[in-house]
Amino acid sequence: MARRYDTRTTIFSPEGRLYQVEYAMEAIGHAGAAVGVLSSEGVVLAAEKKITSKLLEVSKSSEKMYVIDEHVACAVAGITADANILITKSRVSAQQYLYRYQEPIPVEQIVKMAGNDMQAYTQFGGLRPFGVAFIYAGWDVHYGYQLYQTDPSGNYGGWKATAIGANSPAAHSILKSD
Amino acid sequence: MTDILSYNGGTIVAMAGDRCVAIASDRRLGVQYTTIATDMTRVFKMHDRLLLGLTGLATDLTTLRNLFNFRLNLYKMREGRLIKPKTFANLVSSTLYAKRFGPYFCEPVIAGLDDEGNPFLCAMDLLGASSNDDSFVVCGTSAESLLGTCETFYQPGLGPDDLFETISQCLLSALDRDCLSGWGAEVYILTPSGITHKTLKARMD
Repeated sequence: MARRYDTRTTIFSPEGRLYQVEYAMEAIGHAGAAVGVLSSEGVVLAAEKKITSKLLEVSKSSEKMYVIDEHVACAVAGITADANILITKSRVSAQQYLYRYQEPIPVEQIVKMAGNDMQAYTQFGGLRPFGVAFIYAGWDVHYGYQLYQTDPSGNYGGWKATAIGANSPAAHSILKSD
Repeated sequence: MTDILSYNGGTIVAMAGDRCVAIASDRRLGVQYTTIATDMTRVFKMHDRLLLGLTGLATDLTTLRNLFNFRLNLYKMREGRLIKPKTFANLVSSTLYAKRFGPYFCEPVIAGLDDEGNPFLCAMDLLGASSNDDSFVVCGTSAESLLGTCETFYQPGLGPDDLFETISQCLLSALDRDCLSGWGAEVYILTPSGITHKTLKARMD
């Protein structure tokens, strides 16, 4: 049944699902895990770097963690090439905000902008969604320390603790019990 | 409004010493002959080993400073390192030339230390034509006077303290002969161990 409704991103299935978005989430479930925890004193991000080959050269840059601006960083789970595009967009958006308002971008704003970019690929253009989920960690004067998670649908939520990538349901239940 | 570059006034000089650079500026902000502020900052720290001084129209100063902060923040995140002074000089030059037929009315001075700790100096006109020098560079409404004072007092290989004395005397003498610059002066000395900032006691006119 799903076959008829899953080859195009821009159509719903009869059950009201967007299959391409769900398949993107499948791709993320195969990637290295990332976890974030929020406290009143700070936010912590941790990410698992999966070693795909011993032949790979040690890289100075990380494929799991990125700085978006001085006060916001994020962890990635999913297709690294897709993540690079969104990270670059987020970095430029953060600088444009800083240029325009001479204030650092509030954390939720940058998350929302990234979410909006991802949503566009679920509704327009016939292009596939991004196969990445992010956990954003940051601080601003408005709400202090914050933790957010995004997914290929473009939805985002604020979390006290969360996990993405491989075994994230298991990580979630551990975090919930603690 | 005959000369846009001297509308707000302002002067900057930068000098190189032995593994150190100094950059000094006045603090006047005017509207032609009226002085409206005496705490104008013209020299901006781009990173621990790079200082940018801007002369010319004040609004373009602010805009360019914001624009270069934008570009350098992105550079730092993408490349994972600080921009080299000569690379930054090229960035400034190309940014200015991009507005060749509607330019920013700003003449920058760049002072920095490269990775080995050697001084880098550069001054540009509003279209991005740069001149690198090992000794000193000047920009602003008292540029011509400054060329004279620097040529007289400058010696190569000065240490940070002597460089500070020299650049201060050069600047103060030149400011006294220019009604559009003055009302205070400040000096930044950049060495491999850090940046020191000093305010000079100057004629407040």
